[in-house]
Amino acid sequence: MKVLIIEDEAELAKSMVSYLSGQSYLCELAVDYHQAMEKIGSYQYDCILLDLMLPGGSGMMILDELKAQQKEDGVIIISAKNSLEDKIKGLELGADDYLAKPFHLSELSARMFSVIRRKNFANSNVITQGNLKVDLLAKSVEVSGETVLLTKKEFDLLVFFIGNKNKVISKSALAEHLSGDLADMLDNHDFIYAHIKNLKKKLSESGSGNYLKTLYGNGYKWEV
Amino acid sequence: MTKLLDKPLKAFTIYALIVLLCSIPAYFLIIDLIWVYQVNEHNQVVSRTTKKNISALKLDDAGLDSAIRLWNRLQPETNIRPAGSLKADSTYNVYRHDADQHIGTYDRFQGLVTYFELNGKPYSLTVESNVEESYETIIAIALITIVFFIILLVGFIRLNKRISKKLWKPFYQTLDQIKTFDLNSHKAIDFEENNIAEFEELNSSINKLIRSNVAVFHQQKEFTENASHELQTPLAIMQSKLDLLMQDPSLTSDQSYIIEELNYAMSRVSRINKNLLLLAKIENQQFADLEEIRITDMIGEILELLSNLFEAKTIHFRCDSEPSLKGNRMLVEIMLNNLLMNALRHTDADAEVDILLSDSELIISNKGLAALDADRLFRRFSVASSQTPGSGLGLSIVKEICNRYQWTVRYEFADHHHRFIIRF
Repeated sequence: MKVLIIEDEAELAKSMVSYLSGQSYLCELAVDYHQAMEKIGSYQYDCILLDLMLPGGSGMMILDELKAQQKEDGVIIISAKNSLEDKIKGLELGADDYLAKPFHLSELSARMFSVIRRKNFANSNVITQGNLKVDLLAKSVEVSGETVLLTKKEFDLLVFFIGNKNKVISKSALAEHLSGDLADMLDNHDFIYAHIKNLKKKLSESGSGNYLKTLYGNGYKWEV
Repeated sequence: MTKLLDKPLKAFTIYALIVLLCSIPAYFLIIDLIWVYQVNEHNQVVSRTTKKNISALKLDDAGLDSAIRLWNRLQPETNIRPAGSLKADSTYNVYRHDADQHIGTYDRFQGLVTYFELNGKPYSLTVESNVEESYETIIAIALITIVFFIILLVGFIRLNKRISKKLWKPFYQTLDQIKTFDLNSHKAIDFEENNIAEFEELNSSINKLIRSNVAVFHQQKEFTENASHELQTPLAIMQSKLDLLMQDPSLTSDQSYIIEELNYAMSRVSRINKNLLLLAKIENQQFADLEEIRITDMIGEILELLSNLFEAKTIHFRCDSEPSLKGNRMLVEIMLNNLLMNALRHTDADAEVDILLSDSELIISNKGLAALDADRLFRRFSVASSQTPGSGLGLSIVKEICNRYQWTVRYEFADHHHRFIIRF
């Protein structure tokens, strides 16, 4: 899948490329407004990661252009501003998601996963892995044809893991994903243990393969 | 404390009193002097005429004698007597009972004694005139003075009130405006123009002072906002590098542990930065939109979220009414989040948190051992410590949001319960 990363901060862009490349994404990089416009004009992308503050122009103008060209690319805004107005404006202009800096690469990957699936819902709303079948639209999980009842949080976690296959995910990333802004105020991230434990238990009880690995007690990995 | 305007009034009054008191003897002396002088003159005229007329009669000794006796009887205020020798004229002043008056009242007489010769014999002529008594004069003058003093006093007070009201109006206006001035409100003061040089100067000086203060304040806030913004990108880079580092399969468990610690510290830095940015934005009035918020529903939503995070803790939520507030949805949510999270975090694993909502108040209470320092509680970073992994900004944000909507938040400790009370 092709991804365009529009980010003027070279180191951040490099990290994103490095993380995403291992995820079967083909990443291209644009470091300023003009480069970004050029690439958008000539190619089709599955997902565009867009920094709003760019040398040479605003990310909003790029959104305008995408809309004008009636492009179907999924767009995730990545902004240092974290302002509600930007978020609303960006989403109105056709962006699919908004991610405030700083963020976990796993969070980015999970969001990209959802955005891309949502865009091509015709073929990829159901993810199959061994005997595990996850329907993103219906939010249901089946193992060997048997429905597994997951709570909202557990399903959320599962999709997050699938969106970060073979990556080590830190507890903080999971905590922030699950509790949003509230993670800020938590003394510890122990509450995720319970959710992960339940998820693992439900999956293994229904006969699914053990994909979810705990690493040294400080991170998790969905191994395929 | 004395009011500015009463000070000169008091001084003026005392001064007027002194001057008027001094004027009493002065008036008295002058009036008395004029009296005596006038009466003396009169006496002299009388004595001159008497002497002339009596000499013009050209009587012999016996006729003279009877004439004098008759004269003395008819004109009791004059008295002609034979004298031993001719002497220089003299005057005297005497108090005595007037023969015709009731006993007990004294009358004052100014007398003139002149000497003259009749038929070769010396005679003395005494002319007396009734003069106004000194004490009567003094009483009259004092009475008049007091009356005038009262008139002056009333006039002073009235004038003072009238003039000062008009004169000091700009000053009091300025004072009122300064009193209501709030650095946080972002409104500069507009002083009304007046045509008094001193007040104009005062107003322009205050204006200058306020403007420079506001400018400094703005700069400071902008600095916070900009600094926080600038930090977001390097923080994002650090976070991403940590996430990448975690992917390295050759990491030992010790190294992984270090990375997790780093991750933890990173999220703390990010959250402090995020909260600082939020504070700066609230202060810079960036959450302008107001909407009607049903607080009961909002608390319900938050509790649903929180109950996932704190499964062991019990939360009692009682609402006596369903108030709706006007505010920015995001800010009110942040405020409630912070307060509820605070209560839940600082409660023992199996303890309870009580939420009480009424029309005008929201009370969140939880068990605690000792009271917290209420003065420092709402200050930035004042409670942050290694024991409390919060950003140290949560309650400052609550306070700032309350300030924004003119609500008040206070802390109480009673019956081993911490209590945070928001009054809408």
